[in-house]
Amino acid sequence: MSAHTHRVAGHRLPRRDGVGKVTGKHVYAADFKLSGMLYGRVLRSTRAHALIKKIDTSRAAAIAGVRGIITSADIPQIRYGTAVRDTTVFATDRALFIGHAIAAVAATSLEIAERALAAIEVEYEDLPPLFDPEEALKSDIRIHPDWETYKALPIISRNRNIAGQARIRVGDAEAAFAKAHKVYEHRFSTALQHPGYTEPRVATADWDANGIVTVWCNTQLPFDTQTTLAEILDLPAARVRVTVPGIGGGFGGKLRIGVEHFAALLARKTARPVKVMSTSEEELTAALPRQASIVLLKTAVDKEGHLLARSGRIIVDCGAYAGSGPGTAAIALQVMAGPYKTGALAFESVAVYTNKVHSGSFRAPAGPMANFAMECQIDMIAKDLGLDPLEMRLRNVVKEGDPGPSGEIHRSVSIEECLRKAADAIGWHDRNPEPGRGKGIACSWWMTTGGSSGVYVKINPDGSATLVSGAVEIGTGAITGAAQILAEELSLDLTDVNVTGVDTQAAPFDYGAQGSRTTFSVGNACLAAAAELRRQMFELAAEQLEAPIEDMKLQDKHVVAGNKSISIAELARISRLAGGGLIAHGTAISPAPAYDPTRVQNHPLPVWNTPSYHAHAVDLSVDQATGKVTINRYVVAQDVGYAINPTYIEGQIEGGVAQGIGQALSEEIVYQDGRVMNANLTDYKMPTAMDVPEIESIIVECRSAAGPYGAKGVGEPPCIEPPAAIGNAIAAATGCWPNSLPMTAEKIAAAMQVQHS
Amino acid sequence: MSFDLHRPATVTEAVDLAQRFAPTARYVAGGTDTVIQINRKKIDPAHLIDVACLPGMSEITETADAFALGALTKYRSIETHPAFRGNLRVLLEAASVVGGHQVRNIATIGGNIVNASPAADFVPPLLALDASLDITGPKGRRSVALRDFIVGPGRTNLSPVEIVTSIRFTKLPARSATAFLKEGRRRAMEISVVCVAACLTLEASTSRCACVRLAIGAASPKAFRPEQAEGYLIGKPAGNESFAEAGRLAAEASSPISDVRASAGYRRGLVAVMVERALTTCLQRIREQNQ
Ligand SMILES: Cc1cc2nc3c(=O)[nH]c(=O)nc-3n(C[C@H](O)[C@H](O)[C@H](O)COP(=O)(O)OP(=O)(O)OC[C@H]3O[C@@H](n4cnc5c(N)ncnc54)[C@H](O)[C@@H]3O)c2cc1C
Repeated sequence: MSAHTHRVAGHRLPRRDGVGKVTGKHVYAADFKLSGMLYGRVLRSTRAHALIKKIDTSRAAAIAGVRGIITSADIPQIRYGTAVRDTTVFATDRALFIGHAIAAVAATSLEIAERALAAIEVEYEDLPPLFDPEEALKSDIRIHPDWETYKALPIISRNRNIAGQARIRVGDAEAAFAKAHKVYEHRFSTALQHPGYTEPRVATADWDANGIVTVWCNTQLPFDTQTTLAEILDLPAARVRVTVPGIGGGFGGKLRIGVEHFAALLARKTARPVKVMSTSEEELTAALPRQASIVLLKTAVDKEGHLLARSGRIIVDCGAYAGSGPGTAAIALQVMAGPYKTGALAFESVAVYTNKVHSGSFRAPAGPMANFAMECQIDMIAKDLGLDPLEMRLRNVVKEGDPGPSGEIHRSVSIEECLRKAADAIGWHDRNPEPGRGKGIACSWWMTTGGSSGVYVKINPDGSATLVSGAVEIGTGAITGAAQILAEELSLDLTDVNVTGVDTQAAPFDYGAQGSRTTFSVGNACLAAAAELRRQMFELAAEQLEAPIEDMKLQDKHVVAGNKSISIAELARISRLAGGGLIAHGTAISPAPAYDPTRVQNHPLPVWNTPSYHAHAVDLSVDQATGKVTINRYVVAQDVGYAINPTYIEGQIEGGVAQGIGQALSEEIVYQDGRVMNANLTDYKMPTAMDVPEIESIIVECRSAAGPYGAKGVGEPPCIEPPAAIGNAIAAATGCWPNSLPMTAEKIAAAMQVQHS
Repeated sequence: MSFDLHRPATVTEAVDLAQRFAPTARYVAGGTDTVIQINRKKIDPAHLIDVACLPGMSEITETADAFALGALTKYRSIETHPAFRGNLRVLLEAASVVGGHQVRNIATIGGNIVNASPAADFVPPLLALDASLDITGPKGRRSVALRDFIVGPGRTNLSPVEIVTSIRFTKLPARSATAFLKEGRRRAMEISVVCVAACLTLEASTSRCACVRLAIGAASPKAFRPEQAEGYLIGKPAGNESFAEAGRLAAEASSPISDVRASAGYRRGLVAVMVERALTTCLQRIREQNQ
C-alpha cells in the first residue's frame, strides 16, 4: 500500500496540535481575555412573530457598570447573508422568532450585563406566526414582506416565503412512472439538530488606535467572517482582522457569523475590548442548527428492482432567515439521486421561511436527511419485491464512467467495494440472528467541496518549515494532514513542520474549514509550495554543489545530486544571507467537473467535485416492549481516495457516526408554538459514550485525480448514512420503519403497536 | 447570581446559620441540583450553607437488622459497597445509573431526596425498602417515613432550616430480592422517563409472594407505591401471569404527564412493562440465591 512508498504521508503520526489540547495548554477562543475587557450579552425576542413598537433602554443604561447598549437604531442598516441577503444584526421593526436578537449590552461583569437585559423594555404587537413549513408554502402571511428588495445570488430562485428553489431533471420521469412495474411513494421527516460542538460561539473584539478592529473568535471561516464583519461595520475589509486562537469544534455550526458582530459593535460603542459568548440556551434557540426537513419520494422500478425513475421534493425549514437553507436544500437533490443509475429524475428542493431559529450547514448539509429518505425507501422496495436489500443496491449502483445526476462522469468509483466490505463485516448473510435483532445497510456519495487555498511556506535556518495557512485546524487533524504532505514533499519529518494560527491579516486566503476540503485543498496548496521550494533550493544548490539541477532530488533533509549533497538547513542559511530566505506561496483550486447545465436549475452547487463513496452497516436489537434500540455493532466502509493519516480518518468516521446516531435516535430541538421546549443540555440529547458502540472503520482507497496523492474528502460523509442504516436495521428487527427522525423508542414502540393491531 | 457561602463545622452550627439567614438561605451538599437551579434562575439564594463536610453524615452503617446511610453518602460509595451486591442490589443498580461518573462522585443521596424531583432515581429504591429519614432541626431530632416526607414535585415536609442526617431501612428477610430499572433516551446523563424499584419476598416454602413493595418514579407528581398492585400479588404464585397483572395495575395507578421527554401514554406503557420485568428479575435472583 501507499504508506510503504511514503515516509510521512499515509502514516499514523500524532497530530501537531495534540499535546497542547490534551494537556490543557491550548488556548481556545473561550479562554481568550484582554485587560479592561467588558462582557457582552444579547437580549432576545420572547415573541415568535411581532412588530417591535418600542425599545426602551433607559432603565438598563442607568445601571452602574453598564457601559454600552446597542439596538438596530444604533448601527448601519445592512442586510447580509450567503445566498440571500436577508439577515440583520438585530431585529429591525419585527421580531421573527423567539430568540431573535433585539439589543446587546456591554457591562463590567456578566451579571450586570444580564441585569441590564432584564431592565430593557420591549413593546411588541403580535403578528400571526408560521411554524409549519408546508403551511408557510400556502399561507398569505409573509415572514419577509420586503423579500423582493433583498439582494440574492443570481442563481437563487425565490418566491414569497420560499428562500430558494432548485431542480434536477433527467429524462422523462412521468413516462417512466406510467409504464413501470411498480411505483412507491413515501414521506419522511427529519428534525432540527444542533451541531453539538463543545465550545460555544465566542468572540472578543478590540479596536486599535488606527481604527482597525481585531476579533479573536472561533469561526470556521475567518475570511468569510472578515468580509461579513466589514459589511456590517461598513468598513473596508482591511480594517477588520479576524484571528482564531483555537476552536472547540464547529461541525458547520460556526461557518457564518455568530457573535463576532455583537462583540465588534459593542467594542466600537464602548471603546473597550468586549467579549461575547453564547449560553447553552442561546446555542439551542439562536445558533445555526441542521434544518428540519420533509422529504417526499416517489420511485418506479422494474420486476428486477432496477430504478427506472425517481421524483421527489425536499422541503427544508430555514427558519427566519435563509442562512444556508437554499444551498442545503439543493444539495439534497444529488443525495437523493444517490450513487445509483436511474433512468429518469425529477427532483425539486424548496427552502422555506418559518418563525423559528435560522439554520446553518451542519456537517454534510442535507446529506443525512435526503439519504434517510432515499435509502430507507430502497429497503422498503426491496422488501416488497422480495429482494435482498444489498442485492437491490448492487443492481443499481453506478460504475466507472457512468453519468451522475448533473451529467458529470463518475470516476474512481468504489461504491460496490464499499457495500460488499461493509456487508461482509457485519455478517450480512444472517440478517435476523434472533427475534428483535436486525441488520441494516445504507450507502451514499458525497462531494469534496472545492474553493481555493493558499499557503506560505518558509524554510527556517534549522531546516524546519513553517506553514502559514488561512485554514483553521478545527479539531479533525486536517492541518496535520496537510503538514504531512508538506513534510513528505520536502523530505522532512512531520515534527519539522510548524503550523501557525490563523490571522486574516497575515495568512493567505483559504476558503475555510468546511466541506470535507481542508486536507484536500490545503494539501494541494502544500504540494505547490513544496514544488516551488524545491525549485528555489535546487537553484541555490546548483551553485553550491556545482551540479546540474536535473540530477537533483530531496532526500533525508538534503539536496542530493549524485554523490554530492547539501542540507536544507544550510541552504536556508545561505539564502538568508544572500537571497532573503526560502519562502514560497502555494495555491490550489479544483475546477468543477464538466456537467450538463440543462439538467440542473437554480442550484448553487450544480455539480460535485471529486465525490467519495461509502456504505454503513449496523447490527442492532430493539426491545419489543419498550422500543429501545441497542446498537450491537457498527461498520463503516469509506472510500477516502488515499489515507493521509488513517488515525484521523478513523476519528472522523467515529465522530460522524456518533453524531449520526444522535440524529437517528435521540437528538431534536423540540418546538411547540414557536418556543424551544428543550433549550438545555439536560433535554437536548446528544449521545454519550455509553450510547455509541465501538465503530469499525474499513478504509477504502480508490484514488482520485484531483486530491493530494489521490485523496478525497473525508470529514462530512460519516454522518450521512447512520439514520438510514439504523432505520433499515430497525425495520429488519421489527418489520416497520419509523419514517421520522429521531427514531425514539416511543416512536418505534408506537410503530410496532400499529403493526400488531 | 451571587451568594455568600458558609462552611459550618457541625450540624448545630449549620442549623443556626440557616435560622439566621432564613428565608434566603439554602443548604447545599453536592450542589448538582442546586447549582443548575441557580444557573437557570429557578432559585436565587443569598446564602448557601455547605453541608458537604459535616462530620458523621457520609457513613454507611450496618447493624444486625438494619442499615443507616448518611445523608451525604455519594452514589459512588453505594456502587462500590459490598453490602449492596446481594438482596439490596436495588440500591447499587439505582446508584450506578445516576448521571455520569463525575456526578456520582460528588452528588449525595440526601440531596436527591430533598430535591424531591418526581424523576429522582434514588427515591424509588428507598421507598421500596420502606426507608425513613432522620432529621435534625432547631427543636431537635425527628424521624419520618420517606413516603410521608415527599409531598409533591419539589416539595417535602422538611422545614427550610432542618437537615436530613441519615436514611434508615431494615434488612430483608430470607427469600427476598430487589431490582431497579430505568428507561430514558440515553444510557447515561439521563433523567428517567420512568424508573421502577421492586422488592419481592416469597413465602418460606412456596413460590407465592409473601411481601411485595413496588415504587415508581417519573410517572406521577411524586414517586409512588402502587398499593393495589402490591396487594394483588400477596399470596399469588410469583410468575409471568401475576407479574403482568401487577404491571397492569401499577400502570393504572400511575398518573404520568406528557412532556418533551415522553408522552403520558408511553410512560404508562413503560410502567406496566418495567414493573413486570423488575419483579421477574427479583424472582430470578431469589432462585439464584437458593441454588
Ligand atoms: C449532569 C447531571 C446528571 C444528573 N443525573 C441524575 C440522574 O440520573 N438521576 C437523578 O436522580 N438525578 C440526577 N441528577 C440530579 C442530582 O445529581 C441528584 O438529585 C443528586 O442526588 C443531588 O444531590 P446533591 O448532593 O448534588 O444535591 P444539592 O444540589 O446539594 O442539593 C439538592 C437539594 O437538597 C437540599 N439538601 C441537600 N442535602 C441536604 C441535607 N442533608 N439536608 C437538607 N437538605 C439538603 C439542598 O438544599 C437542595 O435543595 C443529575 C444532575 C446533573 C447535574
